[in-house]
Amino acid sequence: MFIINCPFCGEREQSEFKAGGEAHIERPKQPTELSDDEWAEYLFMRKNIKGIQFERWNHIHGCRKWFNMVRDTSNDEIKAIYKMGEKPPVK
Amino acid sequence: MLNYNQSLPEKKLFQDLQISEITPIMKLIIRGKKRKFFSAIGKSLNILLPVESNTSTQSQKLSALWLSPDEWMIFSNETSDKNSNYNETEELLIKNISSVNLGAVTDVADQFVMINLKGDKTYKLFQTGSPFNFNDFRDKKGAVTQTIIAKVDVIIHNQDKNDVNLFVRRSFSEHLFSWMTDAASRL
Repeated sequence: MFIINCPFCGEREQSEFKAGGEAHIERPKQPTELSDDEWAEYLFMRKNIKGIQFERWNHIHGCRKWFNMVRDTSNDEIKAIYKMGEKPPVK
Repeated sequence: MLNYNQSLPEKKLFQDLQISEITPIMKLIIRGKKRKFFSAIGKSLNILLPVESNTSTQSQKLSALWLSPDEWMIFSNETSDKNSNYNETEELLIKNISSVNLGAVTDVADQFVMINLKGDKTYKLFQTGSPFNFNDFRDKKGAVTQTIIAKVDVIIHNQDKNDVNLFVRRSFSEHLFSWMTDAASRL
């Protein structure tokens, strides 16, 4: 359990949130030109690394807004939180 | 047709805590982002929507709760007439907001049940089943939060000192009420 600082509501407990998978995955501009493998790569393949990961989260039991989070998956340390559409503040 | 049936069976009285349903209350959810939307709300209802998170505003007739950056709940301060479904506020907002595409207006009078909790043990009761930190909230009149109590989504509005309005979805209200009365009996 950890505290997440929702960019809209402030600090709340993790149980109010839902993880929404990897962030910054761009939809291919011409999906019809992709091979099945490339489409599957976009649709299903996600990173699951030990270390810094860029994720989407939703404050589902609060304001119901989506936002991005940079989290160290090895120790759950939150490096940064930023709104949708913004660039990640850390690399 | 609105169903103005009372959802909860009775008023419950404990030492330093009173739990009761307030019905019928007019409740609306409004959504919008444009600047014109804010001014149209202000002109129609004579109330300023709270733009600061977790806060509320109040006029003589209405209260507006911040739910998210583009979503608010408006409810009447007084109970409505049981024999009529006419809702003047909704009519006004449909005319000035949704029919001119400034935002959305949804009647949630039946969707949400409003429960009033009064007494010194109100926050002690919440603390038994909610992950939210009520320390700052309890001293801030007009504060609003959406959180979970006993795994049920709720909207909590700090109306006055130890006087709280809680909004819960109707289908969860009986369960939450029974959970609260059980938890309150052991405080």
